[in-house]
Amino acid sequence: MTQETTLVPDLTVAENILLGPRKVRRWSGIDWKATRRRALEIWELLGAEYSVDDQVSDLPPDQQQLVEIARAISMNARLLLLDEPTSSLTETEVESLFELVRSLKARGLTTIFVSHRMNELFALADRITILRDGRTVEAGEIADYDAERIIERMVGGVPTTAAAGDVSVVEAAAPVLRVRNLSVPGHVRDASLVVGAGQSIGLAGLTGSGRAELLDAIFGVRRADGGSVEIGGAELRPGQISASIAQGLAYVPGDRKNAGLVLDMTVTENLMMASTSGSVRLRTPGRVRERAAARAVAREFGIVAASPDVPCSTLSGGNQQKVVLAKWMRSSPRILLLDEPTRGVDIGAKREIYRLLTEARAQGIGILVSSSETEELLALCDHILVMFRGEIVASLDTATATEADLAHYSMGGR
Amino acid sequence: MTGATDAQAAAEPSTSRGAQLRNWSASNQFVGVLGLLVCLFVAFSFAEPRFFTAANIRVLLTGVAILWMISLGLTVVMLTGGFDLSLGSMLGLSGFVFVGFYVKLGMPALLALVLTVIVGAILGGAINGFLIGKVGLPFLVVTIGTLSLFQGITYLVSNGQTTSLTSSLLDSIGFETKLGVPITVWIMLGALIVLLFVLRRTYFGRDVYATGGNPRAARLAGVNVTRTLIAAYAIAGGLVALAGVLQDAFISAASPVGGGTIIFDATAAVLLGGTVLGGGVGGVGGTIVGVLFLGVLQNGLSLAGIASAWQQVISGVIVILAVLSQQLQRRRRRS
Repeated sequence: MTQETTLVPDLTVAENILLGPRKVRRWSGIDWKATRRRALEIWELLGAEYSVDDQVSDLPPDQQQLVEIARAISMNARLLLLDEPTSSLTETEVESLFELVRSLKARGLTTIFVSHRMNELFALADRITILRDGRTVEAGEIADYDAERIIERMVGGVPTTAAAGDVSVVEAAAPVLRVRNLSVPGHVRDASLVVGAGQSIGLAGLTGSGRAELLDAIFGVRRADGGSVEIGGAELRPGQISASIAQGLAYVPGDRKNAGLVLDMTVTENLMMASTSGSVRLRTPGRVRERAAARAVAREFGIVAASPDVPCSTLSGGNQQKVVLAKWMRSSPRILLLDEPTRGVDIGAKREIYRLLTEARAQGIGILVSSSETEELLALCDHILVMFRGEIVASLDTATATEADLAHYSMGGR
Repeated sequence: MTGATDAQAAAEPSTSRGAQLRNWSASNQFVGVLGLLVCLFVAFSFAEPRFFTAANIRVLLTGVAILWMISLGLTVVMLTGGFDLSLGSMLGLSGFVFVGFYVKLGMPALLALVLTVIVGAILGGAINGFLIGKVGLPFLVVTIGTLSLFQGITYLVSNGQTTSLTSSLLDSIGFETKLGVPITVWIMLGALIVLLFVLRRTYFGRDVYATGGNPRAARLAGVNVTRTLIAAYAIAGGLVALAGVLQDAFISAASPVGGGTIIFDATAAVLLGGTVLGGGVGGVGGTIVGVLFLGVLQNGLSLAGIASAWQQVISGVIVILAVLSQQLQRRRRRS
């Protein structure tokens, strides 16, 4: 079982459970009655609330996980591999999944459970194997370990628990972005933060911890459930993106190809897109002026392109990312939100992007950057907020924090 | 770092004429079809003495007027990544909308024409555009619905009868010339030039390409994707309404059996012209090449005395071959 479900959402639970090994009658194809009966046996064994005739897409995430487990059992599995199955589940859903795994264990099923979350390891495991950089570091009885020791082995350092997680909002001298109690159902709970002028705040956390969703909600592309976002004291109205841009909000999304650029459009057109999104639509862009501006931007940002008129699809990943960054810098932002700003980018471009971000800070632009690379956050930020299961659980000062600290709080350490 | 210098070295010759031309042909997918069009034109000119005459060229151009307008509208919609199946039945309905304003309400012909275009734009924008852009329904479902809706309304208001009408304005639109060029053709050129300008030289035009190219990135960059989609379907509706009035002018009547299968010819023209299903790439210039290609093919084959069933067979095969060669070109360029 992998992190993402591998179910067919439009089929029923029974059909999904016996997707592969169907009951086949000799002459007339699939024996649906026998299929349903067999699925029902397994399904009842798992103590599920839903009927086998329900469509999978109608089930909540934890029940969908159950369908996957049921499928594994239907194949008479003796070994169950669970790869971070809890990343999309709520607290109670995790508990019911664990309940199930324990009962399967009692019936002789072996489980290998992959997780980053300390409490889950202790709740479920008998033995633990710790991996770092693809090598086994250590293995032993879970009883011989505590969270500190596991994290230490994983990252190769000791968390300085002195840098304790005081999650109260750190005030900034000149706040440009203020987020109050922002929640995104299923992803972010009650997030509050402040970014000051020229300040750089990092967001750390595992995949699925709600970092990207928090940025989406601040920018207004994801519906937030309560809470407020203020830029320079003025509250943003969610969903009005060109208005947010005009107020000085900029967002470099994590998924460059699907959200950052229109790849078939030219470098110039992409560069101008955000800064002209508030212009009267039937006005004519000044072509000569735009191309001159694009050339200047390309020089300033070190963008390598055959000409400003080639489609962005012809650029390398690093240059594409610089185009995204340059596009937003043209909109004269007061606050720059970045999600994984150097994902899939070569070392040279990475350094260039760090330099550009440092320059942006010098101009008084506030930066909120989410990243899965610890060194990146430590290098770029003044403060790092660590998210765990949708909540900001720690606020660390970069001057004293270490990689081990970040790992500790990211994995649910206290 | 060597990558950078390589790319810079490659950047130098791009300022030369030859490279500019290559760039232009790479970004204009219709170049291959344009070549085919020229070949076809020359071939017919030699093979058929009646082909390359002023009178025949006039017939050819006015003959594709309706297809021209519909294809232009469809191009705008397809550039946003959508499709509009209802344009054919919108054509028939618009013919009767004009009759309503001109005959039933007794308005001056010019006012009736303008109002018909506005009604077309409103129907396209407020029904198709709203449901697709704002509500977020799939474009095929919505326009299959409006295809049937517009057709039904057309039969209701016409009782299935053709209504004949006489108007000096329509007569001059349909049959007179200015500076030796039919007024119909002036209207066609006008629509083309306005669209070329709007799509290539305005922020709205960029919105259209961005919406088709990557709606998510466009939205994140502040582009109002909803408004762009509504406007695109409205433009298509307005152009087709104008085509409906042209149709009235050509036959001096409004006929409820107008639309028919013209949407398929328009689709062929748009695809031949290099606008892709899925949007973001292409343009109205290419579409016109596609329209003329279909027009020349049909006109030339008719003059050569080939039976209409065979004409259809030959057109079908050539359209498939042309689109195929385009695909192959594109694939080669990618690799």
